[in-house]
Amino acid sequence: MEKQDVLVRNNVTLHGKGSRALVFAHGFGCDKHMWTDVSTQFEEDYRTILFDHVGAGESDLTAYDSRKYASLAGYAQDLVEIGEALDLSDAVIVGHSVSSMIGALAAIARPQMFSELVMVGPSPRYIDDGDYTGGFTREQIDELLIFLEENHLGWSAALAPQIMGNADRPELGDRLTKSFCATDPEIAREFAGVTFYSDNREDLPKIPVRTLVLQCQQDIIAPEAVGEYVHAKVPHSEYILLDATGHCPNLSAPEEVTRAIRDFLAPSR
Amino acid sequence: MTSSPLPAEDLLDLYDAAPCGYVSITPRACIAKINRTLADWVLRSPDELVGESIHDILSFGGKIAFETHLAPMLRLQNEVHEIALDLQNAHGEKIPVIGNAREKRGPSGEHLFTRLTLFKAVERRTFERSLIEAKIRAEERFKTEHDQLELRDQFIAVLGHDLRNPLAAVGAGIRLLGKQPPAERRELILNEMQASISRANDLIDDVLDFAMGRLGTGIQLDYPDQPKLEAMLRQVLHEIQTIAPAHKIVCALDDLDEVECDPDRIGQLASNLLSNAVKYGDRERPIKLESRIEGELLQLSVANHGNPIPEHMHIKLFQPFERGLVTGGAKGLGLGLFIVNEIAIAHGGKMSVSSSDEETRFTLTMPVKKPDAACSMAVN
Repeated sequence: MEKQDVLVRNNVTLHGKGSRALVFAHGFGCDKHMWTDVSTQFEEDYRTILFDHVGAGESDLTAYDSRKYASLAGYAQDLVEIGEALDLSDAVIVGHSVSSMIGALAAIARPQMFSELVMVGPSPRYIDDGDYTGGFTREQIDELLIFLEENHLGWSAALAPQIMGNADRPELGDRLTKSFCATDPEIAREFAGVTFYSDNREDLPKIPVRTLVLQCQQDIIAPEAVGEYVHAKVPHSEYILLDATGHCPNLSAPEEVTRAIRDFLAPSR
Repeated sequence: MTSSPLPAEDLLDLYDAAPCGYVSITPRACIAKINRTLADWVLRSPDELVGESIHDILSFGGKIAFETHLAPMLRLQNEVHEIALDLQNAHGEKIPVIGNAREKRGPSGEHLFTRLTLFKAVERRTFERSLIEAKIRAEERFKTEHDQLELRDQFIAVLGHDLRNPLAAVGAGIRLLGKQPPAERRELILNEMQASISRANDLIDDVLDFAMGRLGTGIQLDYPDQPKLEAMLRQVLHEIQTIAPAHKIVCALDDLDEVECDPDRIGQLASNLLSNAVKYGDRERPIKLESRIEGELLQLSVANHGNPIPEHMHIKLFQPFERGLVTGGAKGLGLGLFIVNEIAIAHGGKMSVSSSDEETRFTLTMPVKKPDAACSMAVN
């Protein structure tokens, strides 16, 4: 695949300046816009790279292949291809939710390309298993997939809501010309299956790079016990329990997330 | 216009007893206010719900969609329209709803509440589900037709390719004959040309039979008064033996004179089975052609040694274009067994296959007497 094709496929955008690159990867349910409030705060001294996973946002939906994306490895392969297309080395992956595992797989594959990893709300396995607490039962995940199969409203781009007055957040102006987090409902369902049935516990000890685990409070997707588990299993990891609540601190508390990432990156540079 | 005053609307009652559900939640997903309509839907009271998490009245799927998709969208674009959710009532039953949501923000942009307006959507959901199912069916049908077209294209390509070989051989023969070779060499060349023409004819016969079988008319049979099936089978055997002199073929045939059939077609069936056995069987071990009459039924089978056919292939063997087992040098349209099966069906019979490490055996089972049209499925 040509470099340019990779960048188009994943709707890659580049901002900022500096010698080091931060690659922001969005999770299930949204698109790269969920990182903007954080990524813009790094543009003074880092190159920032945002992209949409294939199937999400403004990625090339025709590049979606159910077989390739039947496991997180398919998504990690794309991340490495983006790294190759941009000739990255010593970059930092900042992954939210399932993308913190996708980022981990990419860092395991290419530790020179991605030499540090920030995992925001990670979970290596969502379903409980013996002594392991993931927070979900298999039946619940089955139910989620049925829900997504039957509830297309709110997902597809065709039903994108009109953006109304947004006077209270004028800085969002040009971002709001399009809808966010829209995707093909079928792809959303498949991505949900890949995400929530995944089991990457075995990969955690293989992560060879410095890692920051950012954990939210009251996160029903990735509970605190899971964040602590990740921290315990990833060899070179630091753990921070944020004040932020819910599953998307990059949206609800961008300043706190930015600060934590800055503090993590500072010592080595 | 009358001058009587309009009755005043009661705004509190409008909120509480509105024909839709209202709920306001904090950034931490706690219910700050909820109207009676919505509380009634989930079989709870507004008072006990205030302070609880919105998650408590959402189905599991609704909860995950809310956290991963709707909450981020609301943060990014302030409001969302026409979202689907499932509520869950106190008995664990789901209530499908659609709704709009908007964030209420403070003077400096801070997120104060998220307000949701929800409508029950049971019938709408049923309708949407039927649309989705119709879409899935249409896509499946399209895929089936697409696959069939692809198969046909492949078939034409294979036919073209396979016809070219014998034609090229005839062409080469003509060129050689033009050089006036000695008589005995000429004999050899003519024989080979004859064999190539037979091969091309067989291919064309296959294609025509296939077309008939496919067009639904089935293979037409011609029942003579004295079928002489045994003589026909021995002739087929002789032809195959000529083509493949190295193979040993052993033959055990009952007296077949009483069998009512189209002997040319049964001969074609046997010929197809025998040439498959020659193509795919173990060259070192004998092929068997056997027949047995048991009561009303004739069993005619061809068996060879060699690699067994995997179990999962058995049902596909008699479909057209199946050539999964082609090994080096074996050629054909993949129609042979399809036509064999069509011939069996035309005779009111059926084909079966058994395959193990010991032997692979194809068996025709058919009635000895010509079946009435109405009873042609007797064997099945």
